[in-house]
Amino acid sequence: MEYAIRTENLVKKYSNNFTALNGVSLRIKKGEVVGYVGPNGAGKTTTIKILTGLSRPSSGHAYVNDIDVVARPREALRTIGALIEVPGVYDYLTPREMLTYFGRVYRMSGDEIDRRIKESLELVKLSDWEHKKIGTFSTGMLRRLTIAKAILHKPDNLILDEPVLGLDPKGIRDVRELIRQFRNQGMTVFLSSHLLGEVAEVCNTVIFLNKGKVVSSDSVQNIDRSMEQRVVNVRFLKPLSVEETKRLRAIELIKSVEVEDSVARLQYDGKPESSVQILRRLVSSNFEVVSYNVESAGLEDYYVSVMGDEKKEG
Amino acid sequence: MEASRISFGNDIFETYLSVKFELLKHLKRRRLLIVAALAIIVPLIFFVRVPDTAGQFDDEVLTFANILIIISAAMFAGDAISGEFERKTNLILFPTPQRRGTIFAGKYLAAVLATFLVVLLYYVTLTLQTAGLFGWGEIPGELAKSFLVALIYTLAAVSVIYFFSAVLKRTLTSTIVGFLSLVMVLPVLSFILQRVNQEPWFIVTYSANLVTSVLGISGSPFGPGDQGPNIAEFTPKFGIGIAVMIAYAIVFLVAGMLVASRRED
Repeated sequence: MEYAIRTENLVKKYSNNFTALNGVSLRIKKGEVVGYVGPNGAGKTTTIKILTGLSRPSSGHAYVNDIDVVARPREALRTIGALIEVPGVYDYLTPREMLTYFGRVYRMSGDEIDRRIKESLELVKLSDWEHKKIGTFSTGMLRRLTIAKAILHKPDNLILDEPVLGLDPKGIRDVRELIRQFRNQGMTVFLSSHLLGEVAEVCNTVIFLNKGKVVSSDSVQNIDRSMEQRVVNVRFLKPLSVEETKRLRAIELIKSVEVEDSVARLQYDGKPESSVQILRRLVSSNFEVVSYNVESAGLEDYYVSVMGDEKKEG
Repeated sequence: MEASRISFGNDIFETYLSVKFELLKHLKRRRLLIVAALAIIVPLIFFVRVPDTAGQFDDEVLTFANILIIISAAMFAGDAISGEFERKTNLILFPTPQRRGTIFAGKYLAAVLATFLVVLLYYVTLTLQTAGLFGWGEIPGELAKSFLVALIYTLAAVSVIYFFSAVLKRTLTSTIVGFLSLVMVLPVLSFILQRVNQEPWFIVTYSANLVTSVLGISGSPFGPGDQGPNIAEFTPKFGIGIAVMIAYAIVFLVAGMLVASRRED
């Protein structure tokens, strides 16, 4: 099977004897949006630097579209668009001047460069800034510009390392929206982030890295399911009366009930069928249900559980 | 065979792109404009005291040629590599389908070309001045030879400063160290050797004195050149001087390229 991104037993040791990566093997299918999470120093950026030719592995291999990045960097890097950390930009140039150079590096024709510059800048909402000096841009605009550079040549694979780092809430929302668009276009996205909410919102799969090793990897759906608690939170239209609370406790699938105003926290056996039955009983017993949610511990708790005693860091 | 031919073709094209991009950057940062203006203005200053002959006039004006070359090399090569790492522009420049060596080769060539242009402007201004003051017929034939020496010295000066840009982390440090090594360290070393009656033939700044000495007019009255007062007993030999400059150009360029290609964050 051809993977979009694949690494085989990747090891990176630095001269001070620090091992940043200790046998990392990844398999990312085409069209997947994969989150790569872990604490600071886990090896996320090192992996990305190897995948983008910025760093060489001490041993092991990294492939993009089955092309060895170390042996054939030109071919491999042609299929990648990358945003790594918070890159610098040539602030005395305009977006057009900078992107024209990169368009030529990707061997695009003059017409194609013109068209793609317009399309990319439009996508990142910088069309009006095409001929303005980059030095006048805000942090959010700079990040969007570097994303425009990453997608200029319409790559199959997009590698994003902490793409929302240092952005304000609006900037974060803009970048998240862009990643959704890339996902919908069928692009493979490999996203390193320390913001678990971000990863949960846009990724299909999450890979957890700690101390240079992959400690867990699963789909967001499976992780959510595994972290579901045996608790249902129900919000009613009005606060429950004593009588209604009694009727609630009488439902046989419910083990215990905690009521506070119009919200009830119901404990049950955790089976999906039981959850369905409880909802049916509530409706048939004329309870006015506004919302009904199975409580989930979420990705953060999963992160803490797979990282062991490691403190969750930025 | 075919693959290596294609690879070579790619290398040439990528180097060409890098040269073009670097020259655009020098233009947009106005560095080229500043040094070019300097190349035109400095010879004009010598109108304040015009000597008797065209040769003497050219000799005086050319005492500033070497310092101009060093300033220009520092402006264009001082942060060529260190700047990419310090400003983190390497993070958008390197993950692209081009060999890192071609990027660095392009940076070197762009610095050389920009300095060549500055040197050309300096000599053109000087030639026009000499013609205006003394007539076209009085322009010394050795001026062309001096121009060629200046171009060769440009290669050496850019290589030395480029090397420090590859080795050192900070742009300011690499530019200053590169600049001072050519303006102060090597000339001082050359001066000391001459004081103990040793010809510093292997020091590139001593060889660079060929820029004026090829005119055959001795004893420049002033200037920041290598030859300080009371140490005029040695004059660089043409062949050796040119060989030393070429050697510096090659050795420092190759060393700089090797260091730059292996450099990681």
